[in-house]
Amino acid sequence: MTRYLVGRMLLAVPIFLGVVTIVFVVVRILPGDPAQVALGDYASRDAVEALRQRLGLDRPIPFQYGSYLAGLVRGDLGTSLITGAPVRDEIAHNLPYTLQLTVLAMIVGALIGVPVGVVNALTRNRLPDSIGRVLSLLGLSVPAYYLGILLILLFAIELRALPAVGAGDLTDLADSVRHLILPAGTLGLVMAAAVARFTRSTVLNTLGQDFVRTARAKGLPAPAVMARHTLRAALIPIVSLAGLWSIALIGDSVTTEIVFARPGLGSMMVGTMLQRDYTSLQSVMVVYTAFVVLINLATDVAYGFIDPRIRY
Amino acid sequence: MTVRTGTPTDTRTPRGVPRITRRRFLGTALGAGIGGAALASPLPEPLGATPADRVLRWGQSEADLGTADPHYAAATQDRVLVDLIFNGLLRFKPGDGSTFEPDLALEFPKPVVIAGKQVWTFKLRKGVLWHPSDKVPSYELTSEDVAYSLGKSADRARSAYSALYGGMTFHAPDPYTVSVVLDMAVSPNLFYPLVTNYAGGFIMSKRAVEAYGLDGVKTHPVGTGPFILRRYSPKEKVDLAPNPTYFRGRPKLDGIDYRYMADGFSRELGLRGGQLDGIAGTQDEAWVDKMQAVPKILVDIFGVGESTVLYFNQTIRPLSLKPVRQAIAYALNRDEFLALIGKKIAQKIYAPLAPFTIGALTEQEVTSKGLDYKTSLEKARALLAEAGMPGGFSVDLVTSELGIYKIHYESMQAQLSKIGITVRLRVVDHPSYHALIRKDANPIVIYVAFRPTADIYLRSFYHSASTVVTGAHPDTNFAHYAGVDDLIDRARVETSAVRQVELWKEAQIKILQDMAAYPVSYANQVYARASGLDYGHALKSVLALYPGIDETTQVRRG
Repeated sequence: MTRYLVGRMLLAVPIFLGVVTIVFVVVRILPGDPAQVALGDYASRDAVEALRQRLGLDRPIPFQYGSYLAGLVRGDLGTSLITGAPVRDEIAHNLPYTLQLTVLAMIVGALIGVPVGVVNALTRNRLPDSIGRVLSLLGLSVPAYYLGILLILLFAIELRALPAVGAGDLTDLADSVRHLILPAGTLGLVMAAAVARFTRSTVLNTLGQDFVRTARAKGLPAPAVMARHTLRAALIPIVSLAGLWSIALIGDSVTTEIVFARPGLGSMMVGTMLQRDYTSLQSVMVVYTAFVVLINLATDVAYGFIDPRIRY
Repeated sequence: MTVRTGTPTDTRTPRGVPRITRRRFLGTALGAGIGGAALASPLPEPLGATPADRVLRWGQSEADLGTADPHYAAATQDRVLVDLIFNGLLRFKPGDGSTFEPDLALEFPKPVVIAGKQVWTFKLRKGVLWHPSDKVPSYELTSEDVAYSLGKSADRARSAYSALYGGMTFHAPDPYTVSVVLDMAVSPNLFYPLVTNYAGGFIMSKRAVEAYGLDGVKTHPVGTGPFILRRYSPKEKVDLAPNPTYFRGRPKLDGIDYRYMADGFSRELGLRGGQLDGIAGTQDEAWVDKMQAVPKILVDIFGVGESTVLYFNQTIRPLSLKPVRQAIAYALNRDEFLALIGKKIAQKIYAPLAPFTIGALTEQEVTSKGLDYKTSLEKARALLAEAGMPGGFSVDLVTSELGIYKIHYESMQAQLSKIGITVRLRVVDHPSYHALIRKDANPIVIYVAFRPTADIYLRSFYHSASTVVTGAHPDTNFAHYAGVDDLIDRARVETSAVRQVELWKEAQIKILQDMAAYPVSYANQVYARASGLDYGHALKSVLALYPGIDETTQVRRG
């Protein structure tokens, strides 16, 4: 296991390097100039040039690339070109909001998606199954940001039951949770739709297996067959899906954070892009890449524990 | 990875160490997930003393702070923030950007000429205190701070507005007296805006700038104004506390929750949902009508308006031909442009300077000379034929994705197609648009802007020194125009306000005769608020591009 983990971690190095290089090149291909953006259209060319020198943007690109990589190796994510604040601090401020949102969305997605999928499978081609399938198809078809707007209009504007925007008063835990319900619910519902469909097909497939028939034949009650044999066997592909969806959730969290005006890595990424804040954007992308690599690794490792046939 | 068959039954390894079973793993994973989410929750912070019901909750456009250094603040969200924190020697009357009044200075200065130089002397208020900060305790503002701050504004390496302060030196003969010495005399029309609470006129603390450095003051502004920056949360918000020692009295608000919300729809939902008290709105009449129909929501439309003007690059054929430029002017219809924004927000303009600018030509002055280029497709076609292009021509342009730019370009595209001119548009993001037009990418540039004085406007857009790419100090002369340099230069040093205005008007007439630019309209600022928010002043125009929040502003909920 240790050897496998070390190997996977080493494999992540070229992936990081590739992402960092691509992002570094792409943000510099864009025609916008951070000095111009920072000073606004009012500033004269002289002032823009002076700021470019101060920010080090006049230095050769290979030099900028080299110093950025050197900083990364030291764990230094650099300072924001716009605010001059350490990017590490900005990420540390925003990361918890994104984690909070995505983890709770996954829990919501799993808590809704798995039972719905099981019920659909058990009531195959009957009314509950049809309703569940239509709803899950609807959930998959609606973009997260659009669903978010609909939920805001219903719960925040019409019913005035939940807040529409922001992350709430951090001094008030209940308020903070109230602000999470709609965005986490939005992402969770989208994920639940996918999980429900996948669970349904996986459970249906497992129900036809010999060991399930054997369990039934030896007289086990239906709930026990489902819990101990069917669901456990169906868990492996569901875990794969959860891994993939957690990556997709991180992507969806960008638009969700914008719609709900929540702080987070997604909001930060969009902001840094608009401001052409190269160092911050690069660092946010590195953090996102780290997430994807780690989630994939965690998913692979999880197989070994869930499926007794797999050993590393 | 290997796959094996069979199921492990031992719960311990041969060495007796407990084996990680599936059940243990799943339980641990679930626990870690829930625990992680809980730990990821930002920790509660100590409760402050501010009652939440008197804290103003404000939704400003844009995604984040750019800079809180007022000498670099140019984007709207930054102009608003520094307006809450800093003062100038003079200030624009709250809600009315056309009237000056003393701020840190006790009275208006009167210029005198000493040894051939113009000297403006200010007497400062006593007892004005700087905000306390973690590096510099509060101390009294003196002339040393003012001279230092104005010197910073004039320094190219420390200010975006240095070009406006050329030929000026700043002196502090005693702690409460500041002298500004100009190599060349100027009129109050040009001098006052430079020492007012706007851009380089904001006064910064010498000790704070030296303690924090240029990068530090971007996020640690130390001013003398009604509000103190308490905390900046990147990409989220700024918390402002009331300044208890503000020289005009403690603000009625107990703070401002100043949120960065780039998405206009989110701001609207926040206001309608009762989570925000005031927001930056959308410059669109349909949006105004929609919000005005919402109970307990008020919409404010006020100046200063930003002018939309088309600039023709005179170095690129066929726009280098005057008949072609005039043909385009005759083919365009200001009413068609105006319909895109709505008459509640925008007004037509006929002169290069917007009508509220001192020195602007009036509509009557323009039309009486036949320089309004009243729409006439016949004249446009005849002029194109005169230029040897009766069938028109094609031109490639880029437009910003920003609505105000895009709709103007698209309308121009449709209007010019009537005389055979084909405009091919490519949409780019807003920063890219600004970068491209400064590299001469567009033969026709549409630009939306406000400038505080006629001199700054004319110099930036029509003086040859400001020509993009090739000018001595490249700025925003997209037309590559050089026809009014002398008039602009003479007006700058003209001390007679009447004669100065005449020179500016003369320059505008020449610009229109040469059709270097086609003025379209100006659009006012649009903000919306809950009915319980009272800014404390009537709204006419505000140079900081928001309604103005000060010590008199209050909010009532419920």
